[in-house]
Amino acid sequence: MYKALVCCRAGMGSSMLLKIKADQVINENNFPIKTEHGNLDSIVGFTGDLVITMDDLAGELKDKVPYALGIRNIVDKAEMKAKMEEFLASKQ
Amino acid sequence: MLKDLTSENLIRLNIQASDWEDAVRKAAQPLMDAGKVKQSYIDDIIVGAKESGPYFVLAQHVALPHARPEAGALESAIGIATLETPVEFGSEANDPVKYLFCLSARNNTEHLDALADLAERLEDAEFFKMLDQATDPKEVLDYLNK
Repeated sequence: MYKALVCCRAGMGSSMLLKIKADQVINENNFPIKTEHGNLDSIVGFTGDLVITMDDLAGELKDKVPYALGIRNIVDKAEMKAKMEEFLASKQ
Repeated sequence: MLKDLTSENLIRLNIQASDWEDAVRKAAQPLMDAGKVKQSYIDDIIVGAKESGPYFVLAQHVALPHARPEAGALESAIGIATLETPVEFGSEANDPVKYLFCLSARNNTEHLDALADLAERLEDAEFFKMLDQATDPKEVLDYLNK
């Protein structure tokens, strides 16, 4: 099981929506990913496997976290699924 | 549910905005008028977006302007605003923005049900069609209450 941190800048709106959508996609596809929710401060000391965030932030984070998964459109489940599959493939 | 955190006086339809900042300020103004947020909260959204880009543009044509609670959120609430003419927010993936859901969150849990409801509705073309056609905030509330 991989541990994902879902975060945005404020840790309130975007990331909560993102977590709801990410959990839906994970459940629908039985991906071995467990999400927790946080903000930018949570990244310090985060010991999980990937960070799921909006695309603009993912670019900034990619050198600071094990894997940054950036979402462009939060309601596009196909995008989310493809990017999670890409992450899982990188672990093979 | 979304209807629990919004109300007629938090809904503004077909507003005119000259640019993204104007759009955010006009969408957020009803929340300030209703005592849901302080002026500092709105200013923080603008400053945040100027520093970090449009981090709250989350889906095609959809923005969810919000800041951290400590910036001046007084009560949890969600405002709904539509723009007569969509404006560019600088979001490569999702511009131009037409729908703004301005969020005031006091903590991590109070608005969760409403956000989950909103998350569902953002996938629903009917919801946006209704917003496009509505001329009175009451129509929006009636729809959310259905």
